[in-house]
Amino acid sequence: MSGGRSKARRGRPSLSLNLTPMIDVVFQLLIYFLVSTNFARGEQVYRVDLPSRSDGAADPFALDDEPLRIELVPAGGDPSRGMVAIRLEGPWPQPATFEDLYQFLRSRLLDARQPDGLFAADHPIVVSPAPSVRWDRTVDAFNAAVRAGYTNVSFDESDR
Amino acid sequence: MSSVYARGRARIEANLTPMIDMTFLLIVFFVLVSRISEVESVPMDLPEPQEAATVPLPDESRVVLNVLPGPDGGIEGYRVGVMQFAPTPEGAEALERHLATLFRQNPELDVNLRADRATAYSDVAPALGAIASAARLAESPEATRVNLVVIKDERRGPRP
Repeated sequence: MSGGRSKARRGRPSLSLNLTPMIDVVFQLLIYFLVSTNFARGEQVYRVDLPSRSDGAADPFALDDEPLRIELVPAGGDPSRGMVAIRLEGPWPQPATFEDLYQFLRSRLLDARQPDGLFAADHPIVVSPAPSVRWDRTVDAFNAAVRAGYTNVSFDESDR
Repeated sequence: MSSVYARGRARIEANLTPMIDMTFLLIVFFVLVSRISEVESVPMDLPEPQEAATVPLPDESRVVLNVLPGPDGGIEGYRVGVMQFAPTPEGAEALERHLATLFRQNPELDVNLRADRATAYSDVAPALGAIASAARLAESPEATRVNLVVIKDERRGPRP
């Protein structure tokens, strides 16, 4: 009798597949993908502090800076295109595009590179859109101010 | 005849119970995730500003306030979680009370504001106003922070 034969006779060969390690691995993969997946793909945010934050902490000796108001009014043309005109309140050159607005704000910013700038980085800037202005134009104006380096940008509260 | 078959065919058996358990867990997981992401990220065209100076979505605790877009730039209402509010002054007041409850439970709550790019500012402003007055109602000592959600596609846009 050969060795092979006696082995086979000794009992039923058990060929059952042990699935437990595979399931363990699948579970690990599941957790990995769950943790590493970003469900809001491509979304980013602007952080806005609502004015209610500064109410309590206001310095009573600080001069109240006159905010720079950026007004957005609908320009003529097809309303669905959402063309707006940008108006700066005060004796400033009126920007034609949001890029101009950014250039204007950037060139007036007081920082280490521009010690003769006009506005400090926390100078209040108020975006004041007309009611019919589309939200993306509002965000464009907001972006111009944030991109230029200003930190205190808010929305007009008077018409709420 | 081979002796392997001497005692009948070898039985190859896979224990299916763990696999069924796992499958069931996976089904429950994906059902829940799809429910959550459906409630929180309502499909809409978020604004996509040029040269966006945005920050990634913060990890802090937040509530998502969706301004549900309607036809022709109108809105269908405001949605927080599963609660929906009508685009009327009464709806805005109800939204304000609901947000105030949330602020009382967690004073450090951020609000992520999602609005369609074609939505008029006059429809977004009540939401901003409701957040500000909800924070005042809740008398939260912490700052109220609003995150304006926009799309920033880093593959297309220039790198900051």
